Amino acid sequence: MPEHFRTEPAMRPKIMIAVLGTVAVIGGGTYAYLEYNRGTADADAMRPVASVTATELLTAFTSDEAAADHRFVGTAEQAIEVKGTIRAMEPVGSDKTNVILETGDPMAGVVCEFSNADLPGDWRSGASVTVKGICTGLLMDVVLVRCAASQ
Amino acid sequence: MNTFKLAILAALLAPMTASAQERFGTRNGHIAFFSETPMENIEGNNHKVSSVWDATTGALQFAVLIKAFEFEKALMQEHFNENYMESNTFPKAEFKGKMTGVTAEQLKKPGTYEVMVEGDLTIHGVTKPVKTKGTLTVEANGTIKASSDFMVRPEDHGIKIPGTVRKNITEQIAIRVRMDYTRM
Repeated sequence: MPEHFRTEPAMRPKIMIAVLGTVAVIGGGTYAYLEYNRGTADADAMRPVASVTATELLTAFTSDEAAADHRFVGTAEQAIEVKGTIRAMEPVGSDKTNVILETGDPMAGVVCEFSNADLPGDWRSGASVTVKGICTGLLMDVVLVRCAASQ
Repeated sequence: MNTFKLAILAALLAPMTASAQERFGTRNGHIAFFSETPMENIEGNNHKVSSVWDATTGALQFAVLIKAFEFEKALMQEHFNENYMESNTFPKAEFKGKMTGVTAEQLKKPGTYEVMVEGDLTIHGVTKPVKTKGTLTVEANGTIKASSDFMVRPEDHGIKIPGTVRKNITEQIAIRVRMDYTRM
């Protein structure tokens, strides 16, 4: 080793601390940057916590909304899987589509919002489908957002 | 049965007693809010707003699921729900009031009208009166587009902003409302 690269033994702990400190600062900064810019996850990337039919889901909310909120909406963001027949499909703006699942109640459905990019091209009214989505609660309908077709 | 669904049922059943009433509604209304500071810009969008408007009486109602607000960044969405809106405790926001400045008769032909909206806005479990201007456009196909922009102070609704992030969030949040109503 060239003479000028050699360090005194007393200096080595200080160099180690400086190196570790630099790594910690860069690592912490990278983590903070990535965490700050983390995008929202689609339901597709989540394991569903419940699997129900559209009729069962609406019944759960209309019979005991607080209990259904606890089970299907949850305290942290979670996905559920809903099976049903497509009652209607409605465009929302230019990049989203609502897939409304039949519930047997003409006043209320299960509304599943898809990005058009995630909507299967062969879905039509009357088709039996399974949707994975993030349940946000009950208004006129039970609302699911960031949906994906369940495999 | 929740109160908003009761209102919808009432709106649909009412024609049996008053045939001249004109009612409009949407399940896909859009409400957005904005906070712009030198530190960061925050924007949330909700495309699942339910609203019913009775053009005969002027009665107007909105309901919003707080967890249906979407953000570009997951961290903003988590802080919005957990730290500020406490959406597990207060899952919905509502407006109940009246829209004046346009008559049911005027809705029969295309046109644009300046309207006034006044009522009670409940956010985070706290109800405050709101009065704001809006615009109503009747299109040739009968669709009615309604829009309004107004400001809300989080503190008025009991939403506490910690001092450490006070500079990141504006004192008044800009609210943008866009509804496409169809006849019910």
